[in-house]
Amino acid sequence: MKKPIASGKIGRRTVLKGAAAAAVLQLTGPFVIRARGETPVRIGMVDPLTGVYAAPARNEVIGARLAVAELNAKGGILGRPIELLVEDSANDVGTGVQKARKLIDRDRVTFLIGDVNSAIAQAIAQVASEKRVLHIVSGGHTDTITGTDCKWNVYRVCNTTRMESNSVAPLLYKQYGKRWYFITPDYAYGHTLQEGFAIDAKKLGASILGDELAPLGTSDYSAYLIKARAASPQVLIVLPQGQDMVNCLKQIVQFGINKAIPVAGAQQELESLEALPPEARIGTWMFEWYWKQPGVPFVSEFVAAIRKRNGGKVPTARHWFGYTSVYSMALVANREKSLDAVKLARALSGFELPPEVKLQPNRVYYRAGDHQLMTSAFVGRAVARGIDDPEDLFQVLEVVPGDKTAPPVSETGCKVRWPA
Amino acid sequence: MTQLLLFNAINGLIIGAFYVLMALGLSLILNLSGVINFAHGGFLVLGGYLAYALTPYVGFWGALLIAPLLTAGVGFVVERLMVRRVYGRDPLYGLLLTFGLAFILEDGTRSIWGAQGLPVSIPAVLARPLSSDFFFITGYRLFMVGTVAAAVFLLFALLRYTRVGIRIRAGTLDLDTVSALGINVRGLRSLNFAAGIFLAGLSGVLAGGQLGLEPTMGTGLLMPGFVAIIVGGVGSLPGTLLGGLLIGLASGVTAVFFPSASEAVIYILMAVVLMVRPHGLLGEEGLLT
Repeated sequence: MKKPIASGKIGRRTVLKGAAAAAVLQLTGPFVIRARGETPVRIGMVDPLTGVYAAPARNEVIGARLAVAELNAKGGILGRPIELLVEDSANDVGTGVQKARKLIDRDRVTFLIGDVNSAIAQAIAQVASEKRVLHIVSGGHTDTITGTDCKWNVYRVCNTTRMESNSVAPLLYKQYGKRWYFITPDYAYGHTLQEGFAIDAKKLGASILGDELAPLGTSDYSAYLIKARAASPQVLIVLPQGQDMVNCLKQIVQFGINKAIPVAGAQQELESLEALPPEARIGTWMFEWYWKQPGVPFVSEFVAAIRKRNGGKVPTARHWFGYTSVYSMALVANREKSLDAVKLARALSGFELPPEVKLQPNRVYYRAGDHQLMTSAFVGRAVARGIDDPEDLFQVLEVVPGDKTAPPVSETGCKVRWPA
Repeated sequence: MTQLLLFNAINGLIIGAFYVLMALGLSLILNLSGVINFAHGGFLVLGGYLAYALTPYVGFWGALLIAPLLTAGVGFVVERLMVRRVYGRDPLYGLLLTFGLAFILEDGTRSIWGAQGLPVSIPAVLARPLSSDFFFITGYRLFMVGTVAAAVFLLFALLRYTRVGIRIRAGTLDLDTVSALGINVRGLRSLNFAAGIFLAGLSGVLAGGQLGLEPTMGTGLLMPGFVAIIVGGVGSLPGTLLGGLLIGLASGVTAVFFPSASEAVIYILMAVVLMVRPHGLLGEEGLLT
């Protein structure tokens, strides 16, 4: 005889199973409560892991992961472990915003980090501000983030473009002369950087012979270089970044232009120098952080720790950006014994990084007026081949403190409005 | 000013020659198979990276030949396994498939060789400018133009004088009749696809020597190839050749007056050609419509 599918009676076995389940729930209850006490503090990170900025983005994530591992070994944040949730913005503003919303709304992150791309960083800052989440911009440089568009909850680790131009302009004037020619990437970063140089040129008495606006993603710079050479400047200032910088420098060297005209620029990155053949590693630049700093405390430990996670390769400025972003949040939260965004944002104003995090000689702190980290500029020259280490591709001439390169807060246009 | 204009015009033609190589590969595939190959940039990158991997063993010159052949081999397999399934369907299927393939190739390259750009050294003999006046004509750029010219010559000779070439040309005009005559159209399309991908691989090796390697480099080099086809006329290989040289020239000359418009000008040129001659300069009306 077939059993009825639903007899309407509750069998003995069912009751037993129910009782057993209830007993298990009773037993697991206290454990669940205890686990709640150890719920991780979540940090969301949005960076372009695919697309043209994939290399710097991935390095920022490696740096952030190292900081999380170190902090978790020391008790995390308020005794809770830190969990880093990484999302790919795919170098697209819409995707970046969507990922930031997902991290905040669904994953309930307490802090947010990102993005390498200035436009995405700015858009995420808007979301973070709406949602009242503390946000550190790790690697987007355009001035407005800590300038006219600054926000109470947004801080920035990397330099502004004005800080970059201010760090090298006096040296270029002194070393090469007053006739300057620019190759500028045609988007927000390039425009503000070139404007910074124009202000410096006016102050120093230099003249700008030309400014070639090259679209982002330009692969052939020959047309611009033909014009630049025809103008016979005393220095050719190359401002594109990433692969664009690589393409431009390679062509400068192939055309032999560097033999007649010195080459310089503002921001240079180890990622770009390593992508160049030795003969094209030329020019005077600034690094935002450099791995070889003899005698500066904790730098060699950081280099060794990153090497272990980075296939034996040394850290770049991008690793340090990710590392510092996570540490800044954790240190201030542990000091204030709170996760409240407003309280922590106020505490970060004027917050000075300890030696084991700043990893550079000068005083490094978040300026209260615009939330910009006053970090040093490592001004120097690219070298074709490292002598002691194949990755030692930059000779640092001067480490200029951040509060000397940053324009005063009154010039940034930033007015921080705190929530009531 | 005249000198500047002359320099930029010559320079534009050199850049145009590179566009020709990209566009010819795209054009071959489009003409016979009706597939707009968005993965062409991805195959270009693959060719460049394969050459990078091979150079320590076979040198620059060996890699210049072997890497495009290997890329063509990958293209052949991809055509057999995937691309042939979209033949005769709505062009959207081909677009979606090759768009996805482009992502796979880019990410595959990134996971094998890393996200960071890689330096490519070229033979010292090619690395110098030929004269101090014409400093922008380096040995390598001249070599690139020569390679493109040789590839174009070989391709046209192949299409004109060999049995396979004549079948490809006939298939471009009327595939149904070619098939009805008992010719193995499936094999012909596979071979033709592989030949197009060979040109993408060759472009990748040449671009790597000039620019270095980076997983996303194919994206920026792909669009001028499409524009060259549209300007020259879909279905016409000589048109593609003309289109490539023309957009290079336009881009070079514009850089003298409005540098920031040097990229936009190729699209303006395309719009003008489409308005005046919708089927392109040497294209035939009715193809791919």
